[in-house]
Amino acid sequence: MTNRILTVLLVTLICAAATSGQEDIFQTGVKYYQEGNFDDAIKMFSKIEKSGIESAALYYNLGNAYFKSGDLGRAVLYYHRAKRLGPGDVDILNNLEFASQFSKVQMVGVQLNPIEAFLKKTVGSYRLSALGWLLSLFFISFLILLIMKFGLQLYFTGIDAVIISVLCLTILAAGLTAFKYRVDFLDRRAVILAPDAPVYSGPSSNTQLELQGAPGLVVELLQESGDYYNVLLENKRRGWIKKDLVAEI
Amino acid sequence: MKLLGIGILFICLFALLAIGSETYAKISDIEIEVSLNRDTIGLDEQVILQITVSSSERNLPAPHLPTLPMFKVYSQGRSSNISITNGVVNATLTYRYILTPQKAGTFPIEQVSIVHKNKRFKGNSVELTVLSQGVATPKKLEGSAKDRKGNSRDYFLEASVDKKHPYVGQQVTLTLKFYIAVQNYGSPELSEPSMTGFWSEVIGNKPVYFQRINNRRYKVSERKYALFPTQTGELTIGRAMISATIATRRNTRDPFSMFGNVFGRGKDITVRSDPVTVNVKTLPTKEKPKDFTGTVGKFSITATADKREVEVNQPVTVVFKITGVGNIKSVAEPAIPDLPDFRIYRASSSENTSRVNDKLGGTKIYEEVFIPGRPGDMVIPSIGYNYFDPENRKYQTIKTKPIKISVIKPEGYVAAPQSPFQPNNISIGNEARDIRYIKTDLGDTQPIGQVLIFRPIYIAVNGLPLAILAGLILIRKRREKIHANLGYARSRSALRMARKRLSKASKLSNRETVLDFYAELNSALVSYIADKLNISPHGLTTDKVRELLSERGASEELIADIINIIQKCDYARYAPSTIEQEDIDESLKTVGEVMVGIEGVKFD
Repeated sequence: MTNRILTVLLVTLICAAATSGQEDIFQTGVKYYQEGNFDDAIKMFSKIEKSGIESAALYYNLGNAYFKSGDLGRAVLYYHRAKRLGPGDVDILNNLEFASQFSKVQMVGVQLNPIEAFLKKTVGSYRLSALGWLLSLFFISFLILLIMKFGLQLYFTGIDAVIISVLCLTILAAGLTAFKYRVDFLDRRAVILAPDAPVYSGPSSNTQLELQGAPGLVVELLQESGDYYNVLLENKRRGWIKKDLVAEI
Repeated sequence: MKLLGIGILFICLFALLAIGSETYAKISDIEIEVSLNRDTIGLDEQVILQITVSSSERNLPAPHLPTLPMFKVYSQGRSSNISITNGVVNATLTYRYILTPQKAGTFPIEQVSIVHKNKRFKGNSVELTVLSQGVATPKKLEGSAKDRKGNSRDYFLEASVDKKHPYVGQQVTLTLKFYIAVQNYGSPELSEPSMTGFWSEVIGNKPVYFQRINNRRYKVSERKYALFPTQTGELTIGRAMISATIATRRNTRDPFSMFGNVFGRGKDITVRSDPVTVNVKTLPTKEKPKDFTGTVGKFSITATADKREVEVNQPVTVVFKITGVGNIKSVAEPAIPDLPDFRIYRASSSENTSRVNDKLGGTKIYEEVFIPGRPGDMVIPSIGYNYFDPENRKYQTIKTKPIKISVIKPEGYVAAPQSPFQPNNISIGNEARDIRYIKTDLGDTQPIGQVLIFRPIYIAVNGLPLAILAGLILIRKRREKIHANLGYARSRSALRMARKRLSKASKLSNRETVLDFYAELNSALVSYIADKLNISPHGLTTDKVRELLSERGASEELIADIINIIQKCDYARYAPSTIEQEDIDESLKTVGEVMVGIEGVKFD
């Protein structure tokens, strides 16, 4: 038992030391950025990402550094990654919108399902973890009420109505959390990085050219075939693009 | 003055009528397609001339045929097909004429026209060759009509293509002809050939006609396909197959044999065509334009804008129409160059296909939204479009006309900012003139890809109250059962109580306390059985025990053991001197075993 406690303490200390090291690298990256040395700033920020750690601020800074160094595709990619971790951050939203305007190909989005559009808007500004804890709060409250009623037989006036209300809130929070998880992790989206990114009608360059993609254009990944992704564009047109021309958000 | 007023009113009315009729004439669009079911016939054969009139109007006059002195012309009737989609009427009228040639030669059929609303609409021209040699049957067809022994075939299926060496993307017309010289029942069923390497579309079936081959009259059913090769090299169109039921021949002298033919069941036959090989050529690399997108055929392009004057940041929709002959579904979007003054959005695309003389074609429409980013007079330049013309074996470039757009400066307009990208390419409001500054704090970090709802801490936090609830409910249920059912409580505590008594008896297990030992042993066993059966231990006789245990399915052997040990306890109490230490130990052991046996009996 003592050994286990010691191990846990040791792991915690190592993690804290590692985070402290990452903070130093991060500050070096910020310094490079402030000096206008965007390439070295990218190297520093990427070092943290390669160590397996992510944060909204890290991705946001990477987006900024790529934007300033002229790589629009990666700038949009990192702003999208930052948005996943910090959907309510106005700086991220502003810079994403700003950078997206520079893409040479713009799409008019076609929203086919109004319910999905409404749900996306509702959960859009919340993090998955925030929704997860909200769900947890309702779920535990529901269980505590059940423990009171069925386990401890402690009653108060209107306990049934309260239980039903909390249950409804739990179901609603569970639905929103599941939807947010789908949007953030199950719906695969990617950003075009390459300046020359042809979108074909089939998974081969011998097929018809559907569209000439441009850096910063966001596509939804539907399926894979060999070296190609089947992608759905914002205007609901489909096509095939080489995998190495895009990066998944 | 009054007359002048009336005069002006009349002039206005007349002008309105004139404008109305002008508009009407513009919208009434009539298309006439002229086709022959065969290009070449013999002097003793017939050909069907088909005239298809498509229009948005239902009531049109019959087409005017030119004078055809070299033919006898019979009308075969008219068919019509009218559809209404989204309130738009689309009428197709088909007129058929049988032409019987009077003289050999090559005769153009042109000037088929309709006069409607004082306007003449003309159809395409076709050409018919009439051979003087009686029959215009190719040698190959004559060969196909014979079997290996040289006998005439009753039926056969021919597959042919109009081009053996097409370019990739160029239309190849595949014709399937089913020749049958005997009577058949029902409609023949066609299994289409495999067309791997081709993009295919059915052109349609021709009206059935008759053809004389080797002095035998065949009924010919014809079906055509438009095939577009999607790869180069040798491609094979597989065998087509037709299944049909034909009348069986009967050589009998029976005077009623004619009824045999009428009511006969017929014979099911299957006939296959030969595979057809096509060698598809690659498109020439010489003079191939850089932005060539693979479109093959013959096309024209137009561009029209929905408005010519807009404010900055307001959209102008430009419709690009690419019309012509070729695989219209694969016609790619025109490549619009980077226009620094506009943001360009791809909006939608649609297509209409048509068939003229077995050639597939139509119109592909691409709608693009242009949003001007600055005020001033701007021009959407001439947009070029490249295609390969297989007839002339050349790449052709077609162009749209430039579109002038006047962009007005709206109120509160702010010029675009500086950035690493083309600054004029965008228009931005006051709030967003550059990206916002970087963050100086790393903030909350987490391992990449970590999802809270799958972390053990999250599952534990939510699982713990669930486990507590389940535990509490179980405990409560058990308590309720014990309270509600005395028998259940007694049954559950029976073994515990019996063990206590046995332990007490075990302490008395010597010859000096033999009476007390057996009294305690008897009490332990009888109380145990009574608790298990939820009855009073008083007055529980061996007969009663036997009866109750039998009812609950205890084995006879177990019951006998129980009775024996109870009787032995009674005997020992009345004749204690006969009991040895071995008997005491044996009795204690037996009671323990019996209790284990009773635990296995279901008492509920």
